[in-house]
Parts: sequence; C-alpha cells; structure tokens
Amino acid sequence: MAEVKFDEACRIYPGTDEPAVDRLNLDIGDGELLVLVGPSGSGKSTALRMLAGLEWIDRGSVYINGKDVTLSPPQDRDIAMVFQNYALYPSMTVAQNMGFALKQQGIPKAERMKQVREAARILDLEPFLDRKPKNLSGGQRQRVAMGRAIVRSPQVFLMDEPLSNLDAKLRVQTRTELADLQARLGVTTVYVTHDQVEALTMGHRVAVLNFGVLQQVDTPAILYSRPKNRFVAGFIGSPAMNLIDVDVSGDRGLKLGDLDVPLSPEVAAALETSGPGKYTVGVRPEHLQIGTEGTPGEVSVVEELGSESFVHVAITHQREPLNIEVRAEGETTIQRGDNVHVAFRGPAHLFAPDGERVGD
Amino acid sequence: MARSDAVKKMEKREAWSRRIPLLPALVFVILITQIPFILSIFYSLTEWTVNPPRPRTFEGFENYTFAFGDRFFREAAWVTAKMTFWAVFLSVLFGLGMAILLDRKFRGVGFVRTLVLTPFLVMPVVASLVWKTQMFDASFGMINWFTGQLGLEPFEFVSKQPLWSVIGVLVWQWTPFMMLILLAGLQSQSTSVLEAARVDGATKWGIFRQITLPHLRNYIELCALLGTIYLIQVFDHIVGLTGGVSSTINLPFFVFRTSIGGGWRFGEASAYSILVVIVTIIFATFGLRVLSGLLEGEDAA
Amino acid sequence: MSESTDVADFGSNRFVRALLSASTYLLGFIFFFPVLWMVLNGFKTEDQANGTPVFFFQPTLDQFRLVTESIPGRSSFGEVIINSFVIVLVSTMIAMILAVPAAFALSIRPVTKWRDVLFFFISTKFLPVVAGILPVYIIAREFELLNTRWSLIIMYTALNLPLAVWMLRSFFQEVPSELIEAARIDGASLRSQLTSIVLPIVAPGLAATGLLCFIFAWNEFFLSLQLNTSDAQTASVWVTGFESQREDFIAKLSAASTLVVLPVVVAGWVAQKRMIRGLAMGAIK
Repeated sequence: MAEVKFDEACRIYPGTDEPAVDRLNLDIGDGELLVLVGPSGSGKSTALRMLAGLEWIDRGSVYINGKDVTLSPPQDRDIAMVFQNYALYPSMTVAQNMGFALKQQGIPKAERMKQVREAARILDLEPFLDRKPKNLSGGQRQRVAMGRAIVRSPQVFLMDEPLSNLDAKLRVQTRTELADLQARLGVTTVYVTHDQVEALTMGHRVAVLNFGVLQQVDTPAILYSRPKNRFVAGFIGSPAMNLIDVDVSGDRGLKLGDLDVPLSPEVAAALETSGPGKYTVGVRPEHLQIGTEGTPGEVSVVEELGSESFVHVAITHQREPLNIEVRAEGETTIQRGDNVHVAFRGPAHLFAPDGERVGD
Repeated sequence: MARSDAVKKMEKREAWSRRIPLLPALVFVILITQIPFILSIFYSLTEWTVNPPRPRTFEGFENYTFAFGDRFFREAAWVTAKMTFWAVFLSVLFGLGMAILLDRKFRGVGFVRTLVLTPFLVMPVVASLVWKTQMFDASFGMINWFTGQLGLEPFEFVSKQPLWSVIGVLVWQWTPFMMLILLAGLQSQSTSVLEAARVDGATKWGIFRQITLPHLRNYIELCALLGTIYLIQVFDHIVGLTGGVSSTINLPFFVFRTSIGGGWRFGEASAYSILVVIVTIIFATFGLRVLSGLLEGEDAA
Repeated sequence: MSESTDVADFGSNRFVRALLSASTYLLGFIFFFPVLWMVLNGFKTEDQANGTPVFFFQPTLDQFRLVTESIPGRSSFGEVIINSFVIVLVSTMIAMILAVPAAFALSIRPVTKWRDVLFFFISTKFLPVVAGILPVYIIAREFELLNTRWSLIIMYTALNLPLAVWMLRSFFQEVPSELIEAARIDGASLRSQLTSIVLPIVAPGLAATGLLCFIFAWNEFFLSLQLNTSDAQTASVWVTGFESQREDFIAKLSAASTLVVLPVVVAGWVAQKRMIRGLAMGAIK
C-alpha cells in the first residue's frame, strides 16, 4: 500500500520572491497513475523532485505510505525515477545500469542478475543486456530507464517527462505500453508532462498546475467537462476551448456576437446572483457548429485533418472582430472566404471576472 | 515566506558535508603557499641584510618607499612589462596563425601538430641553453649559418639584443600552448553557423572577421590571462640565455638577485616580491572580468 | 562535394591547398628544428658539434656514454633520473588525489562560494616562486627537508594543485547533473557516486591533467636548484651542469638534454590528443 500525500508543500528557490510550488495539497491513492501537467514553470517538475528528495521542501510535508519523508534523503524513500534524458550511466552496460541500485543495497550478484533479467523480460530488453547506452536507440534507452526503475520494486514510480524525447509516433505507441505496464504492476506512479493530450490519455487523475499553484485535480473526463477555472478550461482539450470575454451588464443578456449564449439552469441562476462584470464564455470547437443559423462570420482558415476539420471564423462580437474555432465532422466543402453562421450545440461554460467557474 | 526550521537545519548540515571533500586540497595549499606569503610580508617590513650580517630591525614601509624610488626596481618592472607583453602578444599571434593552418584536414596534420607541440614540452633551461649555444651563437649558431648562406653578416643575438633573444625563445616555447587552446576554439565553432554564412554569400575573410574572431574572443582572452600569469614569472630563460644581463632583468630575477642571488638584502627583496604580487593581482582582477565572464555561464549545480 | 568550412581553405583550388599544406609542413619543421638539431648534436663528437654546423656525420653514442657515466663529485645520471621520476610521480599522484575531491566539491556538489575558492586557488600562483623562495628555504631548513626528495614533492604538489583543481573541475562540469541525481536515488554514497559514475566519465580528463602536472613538475628548475643543492638533484639541474667555460661541451650538453627531455616529449606526443582536450577544456571553462 503506497499512498502519496503532499501536505501544504512549498518550495521557494533562494533569491526568488515567488514560490515555485505554493502550498500543494494532493492525495494520491495506492496504485494510481497521477499526472502532473502544466505549462513551463508551473512547478510540476519541482513538485516531482520534492517527492523524490532532490529538492528541499521548505514548508509543509510529504508522506509516502503514511511515513513522513520530508527530511529523508532520496535513497531512503524507496522510490524510483525515470528522467527525461534517461540519465543512463554511460560507462555501464544495460544490465549494470539496471542492477546498479541493487548493488548499492548489497544484494549479491546472482540475485541481482535474476531480478535484472526479469525486468528485462517484461520490457523486451533481453537482447541488449550487454550493450552500452551509446549503442542503443532512443526508444531502447527509454526502456532501459524504465527497467532500471522497475527492478527496484519501489513503492512509488516518479516519471519526469519520460516520453518527451521520443519522436511523435513512438511517443504515442510507448504511451499506451507505459499505461498498460503501470496497470499490470500496480505501482503508484506520479507522472509529469507538459503535453495535456498525454495527461488525459494516461492518467487515472490529472493535476493541473500553473505558477506553482494546483488549479484542479480530477479525472480526465471531469477536467474536460467541468474545468474549475479559465486557465484549466483553456489548457485542457485540443484544440483549445474558445474563450470569449463578454461584458455582462444589466439588461443586455449574454451574447456571442448576435447569438444568445445557452447556459445550463444552474449556471444561469448563478449568473443572476453574481451580477454584471467582465465574464468569460467558454465553448469548445466541438460544441459549435457551422450552419444556416446563428451569428454570421467569414471563414479565415480551414484546417482539414481528414477525420475532422477545424474552421476558423471571424465574427463580430461586441462590435469588435473575433476569431472562433469550430469543429466540422469529416471532410468539408467550406472554404476560406465563405460566409457562414455559427451556432451552439449545447450549453456553454461561464467564468467569472476572477476566472473561477460560474455554477457548479 | 518562512521556511521550516527543520529544513533550514538540514540545509546547513548538507552545506557542511559539501565542504569536506574540498578541505584536504584547500588546507594543503593554504599551508604551503600562505605561510611563505605571510612571512614575506613580515620580512618586507624589516631591514634584514645578511652580508654583512646585521640584526633584523623593523622598518615599516621603508622598503616599499625605497622600491618606488629605486631606479633598478623601476627598470626591472619596465623589463617585466616589455618581456611579458611581447611574449604573450607574439605567442598568441603566432599561435592563432598556426591554429588556423592546422584547423584544416590534410594528410599528416596530426604529425605537424606534434612537431609544433614539441617546443612547449622542452625544459625551459634546456631550451635556453640550446638556443644560446646552437641557434643564436654568433660564430656557429644555426641562424647565423643560415643567414650566412644568404650572404648576410653574422649577428650576435644574445649580446646585441638580449631582451629580444629571451622573448624569442619564450615565444618559441609558448606559441604551441596558445595554438592548442585556439585550435580547440576554432574546432568548437558550430559548423551550421559557418555553413549558413557561406550560404549567405560571405567571403572567407568576412566569415573570419565577423564570426570566427568574435567566437575566439574568450579563448584569446584566456590565452592572454594564463600566458601573463606564467610569463611574468620567467626566470629559467634569463639565467640560461643571458646569465642575468641587466637589460633582461625582470622582477622575479631582480628579487632573486637582491636576495639569495648576491644581494643578501632580504627585507628589500621581500618588499619587491610583495609588490609583484600586488601588480599581478591588479592584472588578474582586470582579467577577472574575463574569468567571471567565463564562469558566469554556469550556475552551481 | 561539400565545401570545407575551414578558415584557411581559400577556395577549392587544389594548388592553393597544396601550397598551404606545404607551408604548414615548413613551419612545423622550423618549429621543430632546434629540437632536432639538439638531438643530432648529441650523436656527434665535440669537434663536430662545436664548430661550423656539420650536417653529415657518423653518429656515435660516445656522448651518451660520457654523460651517463658516474663522475665523482657529480650526481650520476641514474640517480638524477630516479630522483626526478620519484619526485614528479609522487607529487603528481598526491596532487591528483587531493584535487579530485576538491574538484567534486566545486562542480557536482558545489560549495556555495565555489567561485571565490577557485579564484583563491589561482591566486596562489601570483607570488612568483622566485620571490617566495626565501621563506620557503628557511622553513625547509627548519624541517630538515633540504636536499631531500620531499621538499620538492611538497612544493610541486602545491604548485600543481591550482592547475589540477581548475582543470578537473571543468571536466567534472561535463557530467550531467541528472546522472548524479539518478545515482543518489539509486542509493549510491558520495564515494560510490565518484568512483562508479563520475570517474569513468572523466577518465580522459584525469589523464590529461596528470600529464600536464607531470610536464610542469619535470621541467621545473628554480626550486630544485635552491632546495636540493647537493643531494636529491633533479634532471633539470643536472643538465645545466654540462655548460662549461673550460672545454667544448655542446655535444655532451645535447646528449644530456636529449635524455632529460625525452620522457616528457614522448609522453606529450603519445597523449597529445588528450592533452589538447585537456588544455582546451581546462582552460576554457
């Protein structure tokens, strides 16, 4: 049983004013694959390194399996880490790389080799055991890095953007293998990535960070359908949600261009109580449609992807030009310059002037 | 934001554990180099002559004021400046030339590099003696033999131009050192930048002036800094080539002469040596700008 | 055919290129000539070596025999070479043993004031040895170290340490910090990190640094002259003894010189590539 808990954990680098990680509270269940995602500088890698013991935890605590490891050095935390650049020991063979930690623990050679071979089998590394890292491809090196972590049978796996250095196709393929492996091994895993698609496909739950502050932690489905604030709404989902600023004042209803913005009853009620101000309407491209009804606009760009197309339409909103992205199914006959109408396909999200979600 | 006390304590402990590996080397160097240095400072404040033996008395800064007024000291300083400047300048210049020539790929480039490297490996005293007796010699030296073949009169290098003879040998020995550093600099240029410049139509000379030279700037400055530190201290060559003729007496040699090399005026000599240290510190602080520039690119791990 | 990006290749003109290569060879030869001439002179008789330059001669090993013979009142070649080797090897070893952890503490797990410490190490070279000889001599005399090998071993170690620390540090900087972090997580102790991870990576740098220490120590003259006047003489002092006012000496001096510079020249030639890397890296960073 290896749960991980961050409790008001902070990290502030000496000489800076703003904390890199600001009062992080996060509970990770045993066997869960939790993804930490966010833009550069969001603190996700720092949070991971705090868990690893590679960064000081200036305030707050970190627990692994109920034990307070805040002041423990990395080697005492029973964790294993996969680095973005793999950090394979160049002077050692694959087998020696994978067995290094066991050697440090004093485990005799025969036993070491047994465990190394077992891990190598799981990862299809057996033919490479005697090679040195420089004679391996990127994908092979990545697997060795994984193997090195697996061999330790740790309580927690920590992964710092382990797939970022692979080419796109290999990345997608390895992603599924990795998720599958984690499910089979059942080891609690904390996984850092900047790629939100990766986060959504792999994580049991995803924690979104920005500027060191946890924005929201939920399952991918909830993050997608109920983003807690403007940032999460704009960050999660590809292509990104359309975020439109709307001035709400008294009698003028909520409109996008000429169109009334549909809201769910709870959101509408909440809007009534909050009153006027600069709100943000959020609507994903897949929740808009191009047709004969709606607010008019001119097509500026059409991105054809085969299975779907994304049409960028320039409409007039609050007397200013505004670009909206709309998803169209399959191939489309719409072309640049066409005059079209954009309509909603369902209720929109609404965010208050302070960025928080309005409604539930 | 306040950091928890436990963490602060751990950090302090960790900082101490980092210092430990450094200590043996640091302590050793401090012991061996600073004790003589402090003793020198102490001696420099005394009047202490040994021949004829007189009691050592405390004189304060008198040795220093004497030094500034002493024309021999000033001459030695001037010789040091000339010798160091020309030796560094010429060896960097020739080193650059050789580095450029050796940056090419041709058959035997490694062999030629080995040949050019050799002067740096030769013992300075040997180099001086060999040049004095076999190269520069007025009657039978190789240079005069060669110029004699061209019909020129023999020239007494060491007697007529002692300082330049010394500088010549210094340049011969230090050019390889500069060449190695500058060669590394040339080879560390990014080929993509050079190729982009070619595609943009730049001439060879243009590329050299606007891309290569700026890239080499750090390396050149480093050559100059290291060269100066070592060349200010030249001693072996002066002894070997000229035996200490006055126009070749630099500050280290002058200090030597004043103390155990015949003068036996230890107080004075110590003051001179402290002055040399001060001058070198000034130069090095000036060059510290360079050092800082080089070190600045790195953060502590 | 891709055009060369070498600076000195003026066009792909084959003739120009050949000319450049020839000039380079010529310059290389000119640089090397004094050394070559010195070696040749060692194989001549004194008559041949001391007069007008002689280019064709019957090589003889007489001079080499003469200089390596034992002469009463003068240290023998055998003694001197052994002294030099022992002094230089021991001081280089000690310097490396001290410098490796120090470099570690200035790069991979640096102390906070590492820049100042580095500058301090370099600053110890600001006092010319010649100027500091007096206190050194007095202290050496106090500790009865004059005319022993230890006086020079200690001094050479101190003289080479700044260089060794400086260079090793820059090599250590090349080790990616992630490797050290991975090793820490794998439970490696500090010593284990150093021996299993760092040293294998910086091994060529270690060799280059050791070689440079060897060169500077072997070629040192002044301290050896002052501190070891009678016993424990080194090769550098021994060779100057062949300069003579009374008789022709060039052939003997050349033979002695050849013997004395041989170890360093051979070492430098063999380890040339490493030394280039060493000087360049140690110097630049």
